[in-house]
Amino acid sequence: MVGRPSTLRRSMGLRTVTSTSTGLAFAAIEYLAVASLLVYVAGDLAWVSIAVAGLLALLAWGYFSELSGLYPTAAGIRLFMAKSMDDRAALVITFSYLATIVLVLAADAFIVGSALTHVTGLPAWATGVVVAALLGLATTANLRGITVAGRVQDVTTYLVMAVTVLLGALSLTKTRTAASLAAAHTHHHGVGSFVVAIGLGVLLYSSFEWVTMNAEEVREQRLIPRGMLIALGLLFVACALVSTGMGRLLSSGELASAYPQLFFGKRVLGEAGYVLMCAITLVTAVNTFNGGFITASRFVYATAREGSLPRSFAKLNDRAVPWVPVVALATSSLLASLAVVLAGSFQVLLSTGAALECGVYAVAALCVLRLRKRQAAAEREFRVRAARLACGVGLVLFGVLGLLSSVSVDNETNPLPLAIIAVIAGIASVYVLRYLPRMRAAEEARRAAAPRRRRPPIAVTDPAAITPASAASAATATTPGLPTPVMDAGFLDGTAPTGPDDRP
Amino acid sequence: MATPAEIAEALADYRDRCNGNERLRRMLRTWSRVVHFRAVDDGSTFTMCVVEGEITEVAEGANHDPEVVISATSEDLADLFWGDLNPARKYLAGEITVIGSADDLLRIDAMASLLWEE
Repeated sequence: MVGRPSTLRRSMGLRTVTSTSTGLAFAAIEYLAVASLLVYVAGDLAWVSIAVAGLLALLAWGYFSELSGLYPTAAGIRLFMAKSMDDRAALVITFSYLATIVLVLAADAFIVGSALTHVTGLPAWATGVVVAALLGLATTANLRGITVAGRVQDVTTYLVMAVTVLLGALSLTKTRTAASLAAAHTHHHGVGSFVVAIGLGVLLYSSFEWVTMNAEEVREQRLIPRGMLIALGLLFVACALVSTGMGRLLSSGELASAYPQLFFGKRVLGEAGYVLMCAITLVTAVNTFNGGFITASRFVYATAREGSLPRSFAKLNDRAVPWVPVVALATSSLLASLAVVLAGSFQVLLSTGAALECGVYAVAALCVLRLRKRQAAAEREFRVRAARLACGVGLVLFGVLGLLSSVSVDNETNPLPLAIIAVIAGIASVYVLRYLPRMRAAEEARRAAAPRRRRPPIAVTDPAAITPASAASAATATTPGLPTPVMDAGFLDGTAPTGPDDRP
Repeated sequence: MATPAEIAEALADYRDRCNGNERLRRMLRTWSRVVHFRAVDDGSTFTMCVVEGEITEVAEGANHDPEVVISATSEDLADLFWGDLNPARKYLAGEITVIGSADDLLRIDAMASLLWEE
């Protein structure tokens, strides 16, 4: 492979890699997940489950660092799965993984919609309308090609983290409220709850690994592992402080609401804190909608261009935006959000997201193990130490946590998340096993029927073989300063051979 | 293996097709980039300058500082410019590698998509 040029004009440094990784993980859902964690673990000890989840996230960090180093490309996730397992299984997992993004988008739309409804004093039924308006706004911005620039994203992400850490630290100076003590007594905490809390804790770090999709933009490949590691540290500090603070200050009802961060801000800084957290919630939503829509829609576009999704998903509008994936993502997120609004239980969304993310990390562990065998000699920018042990442990732990999270909602046994995941995986499997082979066969037939355009090269030995028309064509195709092309008689008389069947 | 002359011919044809495609010009009207194409097997490099959607320069050699670098075999580069291969498929298979932003990558793929598919 040709080395990276030292003069690439646009490239990401450590600051942007870190902010991207942190920003992808720190959505508005973070505050809700922290509050939900307090149902499973006593407030003062919630940070322990976040720390244990952080240690597990470190395992995932190792897996993705190695996989990204092996395949430093935006298509890395698709590539390492396809290279380490059957392509059909890889596609099913990839499509299920995409569902995580839809869930995060849906959750954020719901949280921000609920917060806006609360702040503006609108009736509860208006939440659905506000959610639809928010997603409509995000979709329109995406379709018009409006994106948050890297520097703006840096500023907003670090601002969100700074405010969150500051409020968390200030909350420790406040006296514990009676309402929080009462809340602590209403929950039953045990070993089982603690284990599920770790699974939920994994969700706090989830999506930090999506920055590996920016591997082609970084100045140096090693910045990706470094940035992810710093992001994990930032996420731990922020979430641990907020969980402790929320456990000390918020009542049971406030913790169970869809906008606990607003109450948290109010308890710490009064009305100013309330307004501040409203603003911060909106900023996290901008980051999520920007990053989530762009990342997922580009991924769907590439998969469609590859031929693994219908060609309509590769359609671009006049601003070079893959509009079908954007609209499909927004619609899916809207439907998921409305389902949450109608059911009134966002905890199902949290458990489903946690289970899916644990499953993805388990798959990543498996991929590292398999690729160590299949591509033992391949160059890796980063290597997991004691890979067999680290991957084996991760595979088991993430598998168990994923399973437990999928049957637990709000500290009660509830198989709904498992059912949702089964439906997602089922739809993906039916598509991959039944429809995709037919679609690919039709595509192959279309390609086979298309003529090969490339002009085969041979030195022209008989100048008479070149017709005036082809000579004129060759002349117009020549760039000043470049060698004049030569064409062979085979091209001219239409007997040129056709090439491999890999045309667009 | 395609010769540098073949790639140059293909790139020149590609330039003409791109510049003659109204929809593509409209889509890339705000996009200005220097792209380097590198043949990994023979080491040759080609430069393509795009200014507000118009390819203003194609030349052999590494001219200007690039914003995007695309590496592939010389065969794949020639096929890419002639529209005889699906760049997204090659990219997802790891056979075409890119250094640059995802947005730039999408626009480069969009060029092939619009030229040969629509």
